[in-house]
Order: sequence, then C-alpha cells, then structure tokens
Amino acid sequence: MRGAAVRIEHLTKIYPDGTRALHDITLNVAPGEFLVIIGLSGSGKSTLMRCINRLIEPTSGKVFVDDVEITALPPEGLRRARRQIGMIFQQFNLVKRASVLTNVLSGRLGYLPPAWALWGYFPRELREEAVRHLQTVGIPEKAHTRADQLSGGQQQRVGIARALMQDPKLILADEPVASLDPATSHSVLKYIEDLNRREGITVLCSLHFLSLARRYGTRVVALKAGQIVFDGLPREIDEHRFKEIYGEEAVEVEIA
Amino acid sequence: MQRHDATSGLPRAPELPRPGLGSLRVLAWILVLGLIYAYGWRVTEINLVELATKWSLARPLLVDLLRPDLVARVPRIQLADAGVGLEGTPPPAPEVRRPAGQVTVTPANAAIGQPVTVSGSGFAPNRPVELIWKDQAGSEAAVGRLTTDAQGAFQTTLRVPDVIGTSNHVIARVTLEGTVLAPSNALRLTFFRMIETVFLALMGTTMAVVFAVPLSFLAAKNLMSRSALSLGVYFVMRTVFNIARSIEPLIMATVFAVWVGIGPFAGVLALGVHSIASLAKLYSEQIESIDPGPIEAITATGASMLQVVRYAVVPQIVPPFIAFTIYRWDINVRMSTVIGFVGGGGLGFLLIQYINLLQWRQAATAVWAITLVVAAMDYLSARVREKVV
Ligand SMILES: Nc1ncnc2c1ncn2[C@@H]1O[C@H](COP(=O)(O)OP(=O)(O)OP(=O)(O)O)[C@@H](O)[C@H]1O
Ligand SMILES: [Mg+2]
Repeated sequence: MRGAAVRIEHLTKIYPDGTRALHDITLNVAPGEFLVIIGLSGSGKSTLMRCINRLIEPTSGKVFVDDVEITALPPEGLRRARRQIGMIFQQFNLVKRASVLTNVLSGRLGYLPPAWALWGYFPRELREEAVRHLQTVGIPEKAHTRADQLSGGQQQRVGIARALMQDPKLILADEPVASLDPATSHSVLKYIEDLNRREGITVLCSLHFLSLARRYGTRVVALKAGQIVFDGLPREIDEHRFKEIYGEEAVEVEIA
Repeated sequence: MQRHDATSGLPRAPELPRPGLGSLRVLAWILVLGLIYAYGWRVTEINLVELATKWSLARPLLVDLLRPDLVARVPRIQLADAGVGLEGTPPPAPEVRRPAGQVTVTPANAAIGQPVTVSGSGFAPNRPVELIWKDQAGSEAAVGRLTTDAQGAFQTTLRVPDVIGTSNHVIARVTLEGTVLAPSNALRLTFFRMIETVFLALMGTTMAVVFAVPLSFLAAKNLMSRSALSLGVYFVMRTVFNIARSIEPLIMATVFAVWVGIGPFAGVLALGVHSIASLAKLYSEQIESIDPGPIEAITATGASMLQVVRYAVVPQIVPPFIAFTIYRWDINVRMSTVIGFVGGGGLGFLLIQYINLLQWRQAATAVWAITLVVAAMDYLSARVREKVV
C-alpha cells in the first residue's frame, strides 16, 4: 500500500471573528512522509489539519490529496474522500458510552450501506478485522470494554485502530500525545510510526515537543502566527531556529 | 474560609474588622429578622398550647391510620341457579359456575304472571334461602325467602314477575353458618385506583416524552445559536417551558377537570403538560452538554450525516434521556396520588372521598397504598437508572 501525496496551495483561513489562523500556506507532502508540524499554541496547527479534510472550511486556497482537489468537492465527493483520510485527536474523541469494538468499527461507516449501520449491523468479517486492528495496537482483550473505562493511552490506541479501519492513505494526527505521559506518548507514536514505515501511510502529525519531532519526523514544518517559518529536516533545527519558532524566551525541554 | 482573587489566584488580604459599625449592622439585622418572624408567627396562627393540649382530638384518627380497612368478614354462601324461558324461548343454561346444589323450575317455559314451582336440593340443611329473579338485562329482584329442610332441599311456588326480556334465571342463595375473611370493599377499590394511578403517571409521562423530545432540540442553545431566528425560537421555547413548569400540576388538573371532566384523563393531561416542560428542559440541557469531539471524529471518517447522528449523537443523549424519563415517571406517580384531590382521578380521588366522609380506616387504606406505590416506584426507578447510565 502506498501513502497519499498532499499538496496545499495558498491556503488561508480567516475565522468569522476575524482571526487570521492561516496565512497563505503552500506545502507539498510526498507519499510516505512522516511530517511533523510544530509551533506555539495558537499558531494554526489544528486549523491546518482540519482544512485538509475540510472539518473546517478554508477561506481560500486549494488542498489536493493524490491529485483530487478536496477543496472543490461537493458534499458526497468530500464524504468519499474523507474515508481514506484517518484522523487522530488529542482528546481521542471516542464515543464514551460505546464499546471499544463499536468505536473501531465506526471508522468503516463511510463504506457501508446506511441501513446496516442504523441497525448497528456490522458483518462478521468487519468485526474480525476490527479485532485485528486492536491486536495491532496491542489491546485486543479490550474489545468489549466501554471506551470510557480505558486509560488515556489505551483510548488513543483505539483512536488509531479506528483510523486503521478506514484503510487510510493519509493520517492526520492533531497532537495525538499531548494528553499522555512520556512513556505512553512514545508507545502511541511508535504505532503511528509503524504504519508509516511498514504500510507507507503518509502521516501529518502535530507535536508539542521538539524532541518527539526529532525522533519521529522525517520532515518538520514549523508554523508561527499562521505562516510557515521553517521547513526542513528535524536535525536542522538548532538553537537559533528554535528561538525563531518559539520566541526568544523559550527554553527547550526534553521529553524522555 | 480563604477567599481568592479571581484574576490573580492569590489569597486576598483579609479585611480588617471594624468593630463599631459591624456590630451595629448585626444588631439591625437581628432586629429585622425578629420582626419578620414575629409577624410570621402571628400570620400563620402558630399556637403551641393547642398543639400540646388538644392532641387527643387527633388520636382516633391516628389510631385509625394504623388500622387500615383491609379485610371484611362476609357470610359464607351457597349458590345455584336454573334458567327460565319466557314466551316460547328455550330456557338458558345455568350460569353459576360451581353450583353448590341443584335448582329446577317447572315448567321451564312460562309466561309473565304464570305460577311456577321452584325446587332445590343438595344444599346445607336448615339454612335460610333467598330466591332471586335475574332478568335478561341482569337486574336482580328478591322473589322469595324460605328455609331448607333437614335434607337440604326446598320447594315453593311463585309467579313470574313482570320482566323485560325472555331469557331469565332463578338463583338460590343459601346462607351458611359462620363467616369468611375477604378483601374489604375499600381494599378492592384502592387496588383498582392504585393501578389507575400507575397508568395515569405512565400515560402522562409518555405524552410528555412524545412532545418533549422534539421540542428539546429547539431549546438547546448549541443547536439554536446559528441564526437570529433560531435564537429567537430558543428564547421563546425556554420562556414557555419556564412558565409551564412554574404552574403546579394541581392547578392544571383543576383546569383540565373542568375541561374534559373529572377523572383520570384530566390527571393525564395535567401531568403531561407539566412534564413536557420539565423534561424538555432536562433533555435540552443534555443536548447542550454533548461532546462535539466524537461528532467531529465520526464526520472525519467519511460517515454520512445520519450515521454521525446514530453513532456520535444518539449514544450521548439516549441513555440520559431514558434516565430522566424514568425519574419523571417516578415523580408523576407521586403526583398522581394527590392529583385526584382536585378531580384528576387515581388514588387521591378515592382518598379525598373517604376523608370527606370521615371514613378514616378506609382513608388509611388509601394512604398506605400511596406509600407503597411511591416507595416501590422509587426503588424501581433507582434500579433502572443505575442500569442505563
Ligand atoms: N472556531 C474558532 N473561531 C475563531 N478563532 C479560532 C477558532 N479556532 C481557532 N481559532 C483561532 O485560530 C488560531 C489558530 O488556532 P489553532 O487551534 O489552529 O492553533 P493550534 O496551533 O492548534 O494551537 P494549540 O497548540 O493550542 O492546539 C488561534 O488564534 C485561535 O484562537
Ligand atoms: Mg490545536
């Protein structure tokens, strides 16, 4: 399986209240890259991610995923395009009262006849596939547990399994480990890295810690006030660049 | 207690006490409070002396409350019957299910005014017999009194009374020695009213759910703050609910009892209307507290709008909706026990009648039934809510 290419052209997002969250972003992501997006809080990382699958409508500019112009798609086309773009969230965004298995299966909804899903019917092969994805992220025994009874790290792994259920070419991970402890952060990021390396899924991942960006990213893009201020290899971020991105007073903290 | 400044989060320096002014203010407050309570004492006619000396007046009532009218001693009887056909109609089959003896009427075919012989056998010996003529419309009339002989038989002649219909029965009712315990009339009435009460609450609650579910979406701020128009609808809904909630169900029941007549239907309407408002408010608050995260996540997988509702919205609102509804039903059972006071049917309707007739022991039966129903509902609803949420 090959990952998708992402092309972003002159993307601008101005929120209704006038906040200019993204300003003329142009960015190319090659298939199979692990692109880490860094930047201060409020720099526009989440907005950028959500403009790619149009959870947020961009104000202007174009987004292409594998030469499909996402920004030009009608609602039904957008829905189809979204099926191949997995998304992982900082707050996991699981349906808390539902079982882990149902949460994973819900990743496949876009492919199923609507009537099936309304009755809560998923064919046996799909349920088996869901359990396989849970195996991939190391928690097959939790399939029938309620999602809100899992730890944060386990919930995020369910989030990954849900994205896998989409059979994605591209994964958007918006601060997937920001609410997890260092050790759990690494284990979650390793699962994502695995998908990237083994299956070639393109990953766009925003992170707060530079050390994590260095460890996992094949390329790093830094945002500042809605603009790209750095685009290069992780090891190119030195003291000087760091201060450019995070400001003069910032001091780098390491995460184990 | 430590007070914190909201902006800095630091404890604020304690204010220095100002002894002179402070105590004066306290004194003024004490004076005002004293006046308020003095007036309250008078206006509510509190009289502790009466409370202490006249307790004996309430004593029979309280004693009766502890002896509810549950069972009655009724005479033991034996029953049997025979059919009589008038004007050429064949006599109908006997209708007493397990007859204690045998009754025959000769001739079994007769005309009004004609003498017939009624004889019976197989009853208890030397006991009083009452003969009852039951016509086709079911009305009964006593047509003779006699006594069984030493063999438990009897015979008499009577004239066919002037009845309407052709299909008649002659029933023999033999009274035995001694009595048996049976549920009292009050207990039987209470039992049926109790069932009525539970269903009254059920119907009222169901009616409320049917209206409150759709209306609650119009009263949820997160859904309705998209445009000025929808925001207007939101405020109107909220206002209507708040007003409707503040009208006591008892007052509504009074209005509805005039409208649709005294009875359980008036109670259903009163509880229903009141519950629409309170359920819609609870529901809409639940809708407002929906976590947008799962909605975003399921949308991002390429699911359709309907699927998003089914997988991200429904699991967040349905269990709490069920819990609120059961809670409301519980409250409505409570209310439906008193709504009868103003003509809304149910146990209260029975209770107020017994109270007005000063039948305290019968009233006690109703009171205990209310306690039982309320406690049972309370327990059940707690159990179910525990399961759902
Ligand atoms: N719905 C919104 N309406 C108005 N302004 C918004 C909205 N969402 C975000 N913003 C603003 O847009 C800017 C970028 O926000 P965004 O959430 O993309 O930043 P971020 O880099 O993801 O920050 P963080 O690291 O805190 O998640 C911020 O100034 C934010 O206040
Ligand atoms: Mg963000």
